[in-house]
Amino acid sequence: MSDRTLTDVSAELPPAEWGRRSAAPSAMPWIFAALVVLLIAGHFVLTPLLAFPSLQTWATIFVAISVQALPFLVFGVLLSAAITAFVPASFWTRALPRHPYAAVPVAGAAGAVLPGCECASVPVASGLMSRGVTPAAALAFLLASPAINPVVVVATAVAFPGQPMMAAARFAASLVVAVLVGWLWLRFGRSTWLRIPARTAPGGSKWEAFREAAQHDLLHAGGFLVVGGLTAATLNVSVPRSWLTTVADVPVLSVVVLALLAVLLSICSEADAFVAASLTTFSPTARLAFLVVGPMVDLKLIALQIGTFGRAFAARFVPLTFVLAVLVSLAVGGLLL
Amino acid sequence: MNRMSQSLVMVFLGGAVLRITVLSTTYLNYVKPGFHPFLVAAGAVVLALGVIGLIQEWRKPRFTIPEHARENRAPYQHRTADHDRTGHRGYDAQDSPGHFSHGEGDRGGDARLSHSESTDHGSRDDHEGGPWGHLGYASHRSHLGQGDHESGHGGHEGHDHSRGPRVAWLLCLPVFAIFLISPPALGAFAARSEEPPPRPPVTSDTYAPLGDDTVIAMPIGEFIGRAWADSTYSLSGKRVRLTGFVVPSAKKNRWYVTRIQMNCCAADGIPLKVSVLKAAQPPVDTWVEVTGTWVPPKSDKIPNGTVAPELVATDVIEIPQPVEPYE
Repeated sequence: MSDRTLTDVSAELPPAEWGRRSAAPSAMPWIFAALVVLLIAGHFVLTPLLAFPSLQTWATIFVAISVQALPFLVFGVLLSAAITAFVPASFWTRALPRHPYAAVPVAGAAGAVLPGCECASVPVASGLMSRGVTPAAALAFLLASPAINPVVVVATAVAFPGQPMMAAARFAASLVVAVLVGWLWLRFGRSTWLRIPARTAPGGSKWEAFREAAQHDLLHAGGFLVVGGLTAATLNVSVPRSWLTTVADVPVLSVVVLALLAVLLSICSEADAFVAASLTTFSPTARLAFLVVGPMVDLKLIALQIGTFGRAFAARFVPLTFVLAVLVSLAVGGLLL
Repeated sequence: MNRMSQSLVMVFLGGAVLRITVLSTTYLNYVKPGFHPFLVAAGAVVLALGVIGLIQEWRKPRFTIPEHARENRAPYQHRTADHDRTGHRGYDAQDSPGHFSHGEGDRGGDARLSHSESTDHGSRDDHEGGPWGHLGYASHRSHLGQGDHESGHGGHEGHDHSRGPRVAWLLCLPVFAIFLISPPALGAFAARSEEPPPRPPVTSDTYAPLGDDTVIAMPIGEFIGRAWADSTYSLSGKRVRLTGFVVPSAKKNRWYVTRIQMNCCAADGIPLKVSVLKAAQPPVDTWVEVTGTWVPPKSDKIPNGTVAPELVATDVIEIPQPVEPYE
């Protein structure tokens, strides 16, 4: 609304706007009322006009992804803001092992206590980093927590009745991938690839810092969530699943295909086990890959990571995670399933 | 995106979520019923953040004082110079926008802090950043200082000099979709493919024997599960009633009574279909109650899960859409 075009005005010349305020605040109630009226009018006028089955199906899936992710996002954002505003930075240096290589598996295993899906883990990981946690450890946490928390493990066990090894394999494979990625990042990663979100040290009131951090993260991560939701809904509607079944019998290819499907569908990690269970034509290893890749790499997550940590980060982190997740799934699936 | 637009977007988003959860049951078209408390809480938090932001915006003093801004200018220029020294130190080998912004972001945080410290005139006003928006480098500092680590990292947002993350405008899209498209529950379009329904995930051979009631109502998932996974043929000869919507079939003389099984949200919906034989097809997407008897597959050679189970209908009644459209 108030994006101003910045021109190269001489630094010495006070701009004309000085001392003036935009009229926006006084117009606010009117803008607000006008938007509400437009939305309500649009609801009655446009809805019958937009009743195409394909558009409605797309919109249903888009709204479903957005609405379903919102509570997790809000939870993650509030937790992250609370970490930023209320937990002193010194806490993390005491809670985690001092040696970074030891901190990575500890942080990964700590992911087991955050009950949430991947949307919650990105803001929390960014909050941890901005509070001085080793980025590699925060990344291990980011990858592990959506896949190994109790809610997801129970959901997996329920979705695969009589196959308890599936939940165990998922837990093991996800934790291994998270720790490996963390260590690789520690060894080869450069700090310049990762944009650690700038945080204000709570200068004024802690509650004010909390509110500011929560509002900013919510708008920011929420915007990227919408990008992911748009993409996932489009692919969900346009790619027929029958394309997949043709490759179900090819050993390694089927694993890669299900891993890619997990990326495209962007299903919440608490629900993906049920979808994996329904893919009965695929081998258990392929379905394990679906379960391991989904919470770590998917479209909405990629969008969130680009938004939170920057493109340079995502361009390296996402392929690394994907490849490792597929390889570890193959190995663990061969051993356990 | 200035503070007011940020707050407005949040008010609308929170309002839309509360609109589909508290004021109606529309949310059941998108997520499981168990999500209700979480959605209400999330909507309330977003709405509250937005309303608080609007109130703060509303209470702000109307005019800034140019003299005051002038006073603050010196520290800024100092800071800028400071940044020029520190921000680039050690990064030159790998000069990329990403790392550049990294340095900037850190400095931005500092600038913000000192900014708010130095402005004790009671105006917590992001428009204050405005004047600096014309001072080249310093403008960057102050914009970043408003909590926008988005801008200037040479990434997806390009030259975004706004204060809030511009990507947040996209949060309007779900609001528009909710109000303008009012997406209904997934229907025949989503279930259009001729693939057989996947085997319902939670099936077992341990279904309880069916009672001797004249008509037994059961979910479509249970019907498919009994038809496929039940070695005791518990469906044989029983009259059952299934509730679902109508999906046409490419094959002749049959249509599907369908229900979408959802585990978390509509994105993971799986259509569960049962072929209805010997009944005229109602219009597509009509909700119906079908009463009939299971037809066991003619040969055992077709493995379970390749063809939808069949039902000979004796009775088809059109009904309004159930409150919970998914199974």
